Amino acid sequence: MPAKITNRSLEKELNDFIVAETIKKYRSPLQKMVFTAFDQIKKEMIQDFQNHPVTQEILAGPTASNTSGTLGGYGNLFAFIGFEKSSNPIQPILNILEKSRIEYTKATKTGATFTIILPNKTDIFKETPMPWAFGRSWAEGIERGISGLGKFLYTDSTETSRSGEGIQSKGVIKGGKFKPTSYISALLKEYEKKFLKIDSRVSLIRSL
Amino acid sequence: MIPQFQHQLTSSFILWFDNYLLTKGQAYTNTTGKLYYYEDERLPSTYKVFGSPMKQWVSDYSIPGANVPSGVYVNGTFQGRATGVDNSTSTKIIDFDNGRFLVSGAATGDAVTGSFAVKDFNIYYSNDTEEDLIIEKKFSINSRTIGTDETITYIPPYDQVVPAIFISNSAFNNAPFAFGGENLSTTKINAVVIAENPYQLDGVLSIFADSFNQSIVNIPFTDAPYTEYGDLKSGYYNYQSIKDQYINTNKYYIERVVTSKLSDKPRRALVNDLYVGFIDFDVSIARYSNT
Repeated sequence: MPAKITNRSLEKELNDFIVAETIKKYRSPLQKMVFTAFDQIKKEMIQDFQNHPVTQEILAGPTASNTSGTLGGYGNLFAFIGFEKSSNPIQPILNILEKSRIEYTKATKTGATFTIILPNKTDIFKETPMPWAFGRSWAEGIERGISGLGKFLYTDSTETSRSGEGIQSKGVIKGGKFKPTSYISALLKEYEKKFLKIDSRVSLIRSL
Repeated sequence: MIPQFQHQLTSSFILWFDNYLLTKGQAYTNTTGKLYYYEDERLPSTYKVFGSPMKQWVSDYSIPGANVPSGVYVNGTFQGRATGVDNSTSTKIIDFDNGRFLVSGAATGDAVTGSFAVKDFNIYYSNDTEEDLIIEKKFSINSRTIGTDETITYIPPYDQVVPAIFISNSAFNNAPFAFGGENLSTTKINAVVIAENPYQLDGVLSIFADSFNQSIVNIPFTDAPYTEYGDLKSGYYNYQSIKDQYINTNKYYIERVVTSKLSDKPRRALVNDLYVGFIDFDVSIARYSNT
């Protein structure tokens, strides 16, 4: 006849022991699998961002052509937004994406749970100010629409304005009309799904 | 076409915006002065036009302390404009938008004076792009501090003048909100603020940065306050009273608002020494858009 454990504290001790042994046995390989998958997907996310036509065009600088198609083929985004020649507007976004991380959360009977901490779009919009209006985000503008002010206000030309009166820029006028396109929000949304598919024991926090 | 959702939203938003600025910012100046005769070929010849050096006048009786004119003095005699449900055939009209008095039967040489509150910022609904507004357009500066300069007479009608705020809606989308087909309709509304000095600009941006989560009552077109001549339909307009009438209907709210200023370096590239700011609103409402 099997022994029956009636002492509750003994039962709890035994239970804890089993959990601890399970964790020992499973946590390490589980953690390794989850962390490796995370690193791989994070790398893909950054690559996807770097390969995005908008990123590529901005990285190509003020002499690029409008490969993203956002300006109907006229001019280029770098000049249209009005970035300074020597600036690298993409780097702050890369820095934020690089901060994505995974953390071990707690032990469970099935091994462990993990939390992935990702930036949200607001984190990125805060770090991507429009060069001529710091409260606005150019990265958000890619999705929402950008006025053509930058191309007027940051031109190096000293030609006089077109109509000669009013609140006009001293610069020359050129370039097309902006067509909004999906960018940061879509990228983050897509990769949130991919990260969550790593394992059911992974959860997300969408803010750095 | 009958008025659609976007028409109602834009109209309700502009009425709210005007009232919010005038109330929170007391953004008006009470003034008294002479009105100057001029001809306006767009108007029926029966009207003689007497314009003030400033436009737009405050027409909302709910603004505390604002002197909303009910008439002007012609040769020392008060001439009140018509009030009542239908004043479209009135012989005395106040055109609040253009800051002027239209009267039939007056002589061009009559001495016309009036007391009125003039808005610190004119409000315009605009389809122009930001670059058109800031770079291309030719604006007259309608300063609120003309002092005793006797060379200034009337301000010409119809043209937009600054300081002003130009409102436009740039994008609209519906997203699922609740079971049963209810959607969250979000409209992106942008306002370009053109001010004479940084104090004015900071004031406007500060007021509207604090408008986050404000609700906006949907006011039907039938309650739009103005006539074709810029006067009040019934001789009286009180935003708060109209708002109270519709307070229990489905309301819009400011889901997000971001303010920013044109930074100083590009600002110096502008020909006129004006200060430019931007207010970007996301205005939302939960509604059954498919019905």
